[in-house]
Amino acid sequence: MNKIDEKFKKLKGKGEKALIAYFTAGLPSTKGTVEIIRKAEKSGVDIVEIGIPFSDPIADGPIIQYASHISLEKGTNTDTVFEICRELGKSINIPYLLMTYYNPVYRYGIEKFSKRCAQTGVSGIIIPDLPFEESKDVREALKKQNVYLINLLTPFTPEKRAKKIIKASSGFIYFITSAGVTGPREKFSKEMWDKLKIVQEISSIPVASGFGISDAEQVKRLREYVDGVIIGSFFVKKIIDGKIEELWKEIREIKKALVGEN
Amino acid sequence: MKLPDRYGKYGVFGGRFAPETLIPALEELERGYKSISKDKSFREELSYLLSEYAGRPTPLYLAENFSKVIGCKVYLKREDLAFTGAHKINNTLGQVLLAKKMGKKRIIAETGAGQHGVATATASALFGMECCVYMGEVDCERQKLNVYRMKLLGSDVISVKSGSRTLKDAINEAMRDWIANFAYTHYVIGSVVGPHPYPQIVRDFQSVIGVETKRQILKKEKRLPDYLIACVGGGSNSIGLFYPFYKNKGVRFIGVEAGGKGINTSKNAATLCRGDKGALHGSFSYILQDRYGQINQTHSVSAGLDYPGVGPEHAFYKETGRAEYTYATDNDALDGFHILSETEGIIPALESAHAIGWVIKNRKQFKKDDIVVVCLSGRGDKDVAEVASIEGVL
Repeated sequence: MNKIDEKFKKLKGKGEKALIAYFTAGLPSTKGTVEIIRKAEKSGVDIVEIGIPFSDPIADGPIIQYASHISLEKGTNTDTVFEICRELGKSINIPYLLMTYYNPVYRYGIEKFSKRCAQTGVSGIIIPDLPFEESKDVREALKKQNVYLINLLTPFTPEKRAKKIIKASSGFIYFITSAGVTGPREKFSKEMWDKLKIVQEISSIPVASGFGISDAEQVKRLREYVDGVIIGSFFVKKIIDGKIEELWKEIREIKKALVGEN
Repeated sequence: MKLPDRYGKYGVFGGRFAPETLIPALEELERGYKSISKDKSFREELSYLLSEYAGRPTPLYLAENFSKVIGCKVYLKREDLAFTGAHKINNTLGQVLLAKKMGKKRIIAETGAGQHGVATATASALFGMECCVYMGEVDCERQKLNVYRMKLLGSDVISVKSGSRTLKDAINEAMRDWIANFAYTHYVIGSVVGPHPYPQIVRDFQSVIGVETKRQILKKEKRLPDYLIACVGGGSNSIGLFYPFYKNKGVRFIGVEAGGKGINTSKNAATLCRGDKGALHGSFSYILQDRYGQINQTHSVSAGLDYPGVGPEHAFYKETGRAEYTYATDNDALDGFHILSETEGIIPALESAHAIGWVIKNRKQFKKDDIVVVCLSGRGDKDVAEVASIEGVL
């Protein structure tokens, strides 16, 4: 069984929702990434997404663009990220995923990339610029290694298309809450609520929401409609600003909102 | 074979490597383009504007003095005489009119040298659409006057400070804007790049260059040319010239990329000559990248060619041998810039000067009876200050 499935099953048993945290690999350093993820697990993160930085991240807002840029300047590359994954395999229990763009995966070699994922304990991959129609090669290569390709849906995805994608999905559905790039936002639109409800209803696998989420209040509003929330830019900003203590505090508070104690 | 196929592919190239958020927008554009571009009133309106507003057809000029330098007949397709000074207007009039018919209220665009930005700002002014142009900070600096021209035409110009602060980063930023605002915004891509259906739309609107050339050369010479030669950045003027001759196998296509300071240095933008396969800005093609797939920073004396990607249809022409791709260095282009100015009184854009410079350097390969058509994609006024400063004159 893939660790992502195990995790969601366990959380469901406890009546909890998943906190999925994104961190850009190599920030503040290779070692630092491993340390941060270890502590994130202790503070309440259920699943981790590790970003392989890309030079031209078109789906990302200014915070992750900046994080990617400095990480690349520090010399982070696909191999160093797999080293981080190998370290994590020895020291954490929660599932970890990779998030990157299609070109680094293609260039590394789709088969080789998939094998390295399996070897270093990676449970899944998210590729925001690889839509379903173009994903056959990647999907098949990952399947051989029991690594999941996580598909994305948005408030604008027509229902028919959503059904087709969900049918071929594994792990969880990454539901993008708003139009635009990653980064904190204040409000969710009506379209987002409507489509989220539809997706939750037709999906046989868990649905997690991401893009624009940054506080416990938003999380409380989303809680009953999702199986998990994904938070990236908001956490990465804390690391960029060197406010690590605040990061643990935010993680604890958001996790509390997902457990539903309040 | 139909190019592209129904998946937007040119062989293995092209496709739609774009975020899920954009897929419905791209599908809407594909449907809109399919139905509107066939519509008689759309075609008539565009054709009227191309002739009455943009000054088409542009001449196919036999450059006799320059021909003497080369040793065979050289015709120049005078896109520099199209309104706003380059071929870019062919595409922007088509796309902004399309956007209007699709009910969009706002236009965005990226620009390198500023020519596409100016052409988009012009079309937006004509159709009364709000317009916002993204331009790399480095390019804003080297093309200050074009920045002012766009503002004069009522557009906002946003200076992009991320990455290498040139064309590729301007495209990233325009795509991010589109991802957020596609419901009421049309993104006018300026070259035959991007996710399907963009490479097809831009090619179709630029094909007027080749269609006119074919008619004109048949009238003047009673035969097809031996060579079609054009510069290739993203590749829109070249594909516009080549595509209508695709089935005329006797006509050789030569695409000239920016060799920068030399193709064995890291300072060039010769994507098809030096790049590898990969996906950038929504399509699968050739790109200049490192071993981990990170996109390289490029260099060219001309901002319009300073781009690490290239249109997927060019990648397909390369793969199938339909076209040859070569390069001209910064210095070759500067030679072309001077020699055409001196022999013909025509100052070419630095982009087009790459095609001219390559023809001069390789003049020995042409036979006396050859007929060569070079696409003079734009006028060089915009580059005069830059060249003067490179040569230490100003």
